[in-house]
Amino acid sequence: MSRVPARARFGLTLLIGLGVLSLVAGRLFPEALASTCPLGMDPTRPDRTVCELAFGGLWVSLAVGLAAGALSTLIGLTVAAVARLTGGAVEQAILRAVDAVFALPDVLVVMVLQLAGQSLSDAGMGGGLGPFGLMVASLALVGWAGPARMFRNRLATLESQEYVTAARALGGGGVHLLRVHLWPALRPFALAVFLSRLPAAILTESTVSFFGIARMEPMSLGRYLGTSYAALIYEGGGRVVLPAWALLVLLVLGASLASQALQSAPRRAA
Amino acid sequence: MRLVAQKLTRQLVLVPLVAVASYFLMTTLPLTTETEAKRQVSKELAASYQRDLGIGEPLGFLRPWEKLFRGERLGTSAQGITGDELLLKLSGSVGVGLMALPLALAWALGFALLRTRWRRGKWAALGDAVPAVAFGTPVFIPALLLAPGVVERGHMLPELCAALVISVWPGIFLGTLVGDSLETELSRDYVRTALGKGLSRGTVLRRHVLPNVWPALLDAVGPVATSLLAGSFAAERVFGLPYFGQLYVLAVLNKQVAVVVVATTTFASLLVLVSLAVEVVRYAVDPRSREATT
Repeated sequence: MSRVPARARFGLTLLIGLGVLSLVAGRLFPEALASTCPLGMDPTRPDRTVCELAFGGLWVSLAVGLAAGALSTLIGLTVAAVARLTGGAVEQAILRAVDAVFALPDVLVVMVLQLAGQSLSDAGMGGGLGPFGLMVASLALVGWAGPARMFRNRLATLESQEYVTAARALGGGGVHLLRVHLWPALRPFALAVFLSRLPAAILTESTVSFFGIARMEPMSLGRYLGTSYAALIYEGGGRVVLPAWALLVLLVLGASLASQALQSAPRRAA
Repeated sequence: MRLVAQKLTRQLVLVPLVAVASYFLMTTLPLTTETEAKRQVSKELAASYQRDLGIGEPLGFLRPWEKLFRGERLGTSAQGITGDELLLKLSGSVGVGLMALPLALAWALGFALLRTRWRRGKWAALGDAVPAVAFGTPVFIPALLLAPGVVERGHMLPELCAALVISVWPGIFLGTLVGDSLETELSRDYVRTALGKGLSRGTVLRRHVLPNVWPALLDAVGPVATSLLAGSFAAERVFGLPYFGQLYVLAVLNKQVAVVVVATTTFASLLVLVSLAVEVVRYAVDPRSREATT
């Protein structure tokens, strides 16, 4: 842990703290949260307190972010590994596809994928994906291009190192090099990339849910704000908006700090 | 020049790709009309779906565009759209984006200056915290906070407020980027040499430093343009602006699939246009870009 930069430690602590808080407050002791909430009841849902909805939403947003971030990092890693292993024209074609996906705005594509997924679910062809799974899949399908590009570039840099050249000269194959020599050096970077996807996934999900397109229950932070927004405009709902916003900012702040610090940390020789 | 042409071709290929991919994705979707289905689809919508997408016809994927060019309505009569209306709504969103651009530049300049000042004092941590807070704040949150004053009491123009809220993150992002780049360039030897030879600080900045900062700024234009346009979706929804973002969200919510296909392609084309403009500007202002292409 002493090798982890201080800012990364702070970010990770914040992230884990929020996760534990949302689990304890929102899932394990919801009655205590409901009876002691100083912010009162939600104007659009008089049966729930603002704290219940905010901490419940925090838990869902965090779960969506973690699952989507992990899945998009995994897809990106696989695509980058395939690109480097095949090389040549196939690698170029993969890179062009990555660029094309990367150029598309996340929110727009997630909305289209949600529409497609919900239509399939309504017709009984959803493949068992509920609203949560559909959101995670949509975010992963949109978010893999960035990690793929980063992993491909990092792999290309690592492959030019002397120890990799030596291993190749000794007859090491592509998969062997990747598994034994490159992956240990890539692992901390993979964690940083995963953490960088986390805020992007959470924010995209929040925006799409805010539009009312996702149907997740219990509600994420974005969906909570989205379902209440019309009432908020007329009832001066800063009391409702500010806690959810603060939680969202803290979540993103933790992940961003940890990711940036890990990415800029000096690399040790593998 | 060949490399620039290659880059432009790659960008332009994206438009038909998006058009065809979104068309085929939409046409493969089942449109549930049975009463037992969870979400019923009206007969009118089902008919417009068939009519607009030309399903089963040769070159059916051109049908939505054909209808738009003929001036016919896409989608149902209540929520559909004609080509002229689409352009009008798009121009509304682009207008909001263009209003947001100078605001974003103002935020960027202000933040870059403040960050340089904070770096030397006890407020150094703010230089890192502000971008994190700005990034962690989805556009709809400041929009929601401003909305009571704008929508209910009519204190400010909704368009101006939308531009204001969508400009914050791009502004802080640009400010961070330009601030970092400026700081790096100002610490280089060539700046000290130029100052040592008697040039004024302003001249060094204008003639030597800024040309080296331009590429970093141009690299950021793509993400900033995407962010401004995508951000306008949320702002338009909160402030009730009837432009492209609102059209898109309503088309998705109401399953107006032909409108979704056309709007997605239009949006992608807009981003490609921005990207092309950036490449042209880069070619004009960055000598390294010209050297790499000869």
